[in-house]
Amino acid sequence: MSLREISRVTGSRKIAENTFESTLHAPQIASLVKAGQFINILPSGDWPKVMRRPMSVSGTEGDNLSIIYKVVGTGTEQMYSWAEGDEVDIIGPLGNYWADFSKTPIIIGGGVGIAPIFFLHNTLQSNNIEHYMIMGSRTANEHFLEHDLPAKVLMTTDDGTYGIHGNVVAAVDTIAENLDLSDTKLFVCGPAPMMEAMKDYALAKNIECDIALETVMACGIGICQGCSMEYVPKESKESSYREKYGLVCMDGPIFKAKEIKTCYL
Amino acid sequence: MLKVKLGDITFASPITVASGTYGYGNEVEGLAEVNRLGGIVTKSVTRHPREGNPLPRITETPSGMLNSIGLANVGVEMYCKEKLPFLNELKTQVIVNIAGSSMGDYLETMDMLEEADGNHIGYEINISCPNVKEGGMEFGVSCEMTEKLTKEMRRRTSKLLIMKLSPNVTSITEIGLAAQDGGADAVSAINTVVGMGIDVEKRCVKLHTVFGGLSGPAIKPIALANVHKLYKVLSIPIMGLGGIASAEDVLEFILAGAHMVQIGTTNYINPNIGVDILQELEAYCTENGLKNILELKGQLNS
Repeated sequence: MSLREISRVTGSRKIAENTFESTLHAPQIASLVKAGQFINILPSGDWPKVMRRPMSVSGTEGDNLSIIYKVVGTGTEQMYSWAEGDEVDIIGPLGNYWADFSKTPIIIGGGVGIAPIFFLHNTLQSNNIEHYMIMGSRTANEHFLEHDLPAKVLMTTDDGTYGIHGNVVAAVDTIAENLDLSDTKLFVCGPAPMMEAMKDYALAKNIECDIALETVMACGIGICQGCSMEYVPKESKESSYREKYGLVCMDGPIFKAKEIKTCYL
Repeated sequence: MLKVKLGDITFASPITVASGTYGYGNEVEGLAEVNRLGGIVTKSVTRHPREGNPLPRITETPSGMLNSIGLANVGVEMYCKEKLPFLNELKTQVIVNIAGSSMGDYLETMDMLEEADGNHIGYEINISCPNVKEGGMEFGVSCEMTEKLTKEMRRRTSKLLIMKLSPNVTSITEIGLAAQDGGADAVSAINTVVGMGIDVEKRCVKLHTVFGGLSGPAIKPIALANVHKLYKVLSIPIMGLGGIASAEDVLEFILAGAHMVQIGTTNYINPNIGVDILQELEAYCTENGLKNILELKGQLNS
């Protein structure tokens, strides 16, 4: 069950080019949230719009939780202007979470999708689960982690200015040189083209793959039915509910690659 | 002070929540004090389950949102099995919203709900969904069909019967009168306003169905106008809705002639809005010497 909490901003910092991390003091939600889940944020007390802003949680530390975002619109602009001590109304934890780490996880994030992957990285680390992490970006200054192959942390850039030159598929191929991918499972969150590429890759090579989708969302709790995604058609009764279309907020955000028709939502 | 009656039914306050913005009540558990609401109107229930429209289904607009969900819902059989037991536990009044595509659909759904062991005190009939071909709009735009459907439903139930009206018609008052003549206990107004969104960069429409229903504060003036028009001609009460986001908005609707109100889209940012504003409404009544909030109904100074 999710709950509503009036959190308090404890800090904000720029971690990379147009990429910010804010931490919120939210003891109840921080104690419940798992990697992959999200919160639905009211960016300000006098928010003039009719939708909150869903954000994946990027980590927790004690009573605090953090989010990572890029400033792209009015919601994130408002978040960027948060000052320490500001009150922020949040609802969470929402959605499902990353699970089943029996095969070696290769966790892959890019763009706005780095938050749930970063949280997963920390969760796996604290549970001593050996894994690979790949972060993709267009260029070097969008990265905030060090490319460290021996430590199994791989950075890629589209323009080759840092880490592996190419997209995240190139990094998975690098890992595949020393590892049988059938013993691995992919966990992916990022821009739609990246997720779509990883979906195709995983399906072609028959690798297990979970993908966290992102879409426009209003309620976040399964009421408005707005945040739909489409499943790969399955044999189904003539009329159905949530069989052809799932809801990202409550059936996801994490889905199996083989059941997602398209990551472009 | 806030207690109101509709038919024989007493509501703790005139504040209810609009269909489609509160699910079947269980979704907001832990986020809202459902039992402190005057009532809840459920998500539309149809004769058979519906998968809903292709995506994208929603988009934000200035002070509002466009939706084209397509009445995605579990269907009446599953409603009776899975949703009704939770609703029966609620202490607030429950109104079941029924949608359909044919007379048979509406009536069968109602028959099944009448036979089910539900504590609901009434029905709101969606004859005005703009987003599906079979969303009942052929009823909602026709006086004759509205009256016929209302009559048929009236024969079947002694519970409250509320017809939900569309603003997307030439004359909402004529449709309202038809519902009244058919025997409705009340009308609710307004359903969403037909709208459209365009993405210039992609040069495409923002909703798969091209047109959708606009809701939120953006439509409040339209809703007020329609409620007031209906108030001028109808003798049955009106549940007003459309963009209500504050206690002041509620007072505006009551002054325009609404007997009760429904809060819709604002539930998405604050699922407890319907309870949060109660204190302010009571304070208004006290400060203005009102024994009951409905003393304000239609009391606009000229």
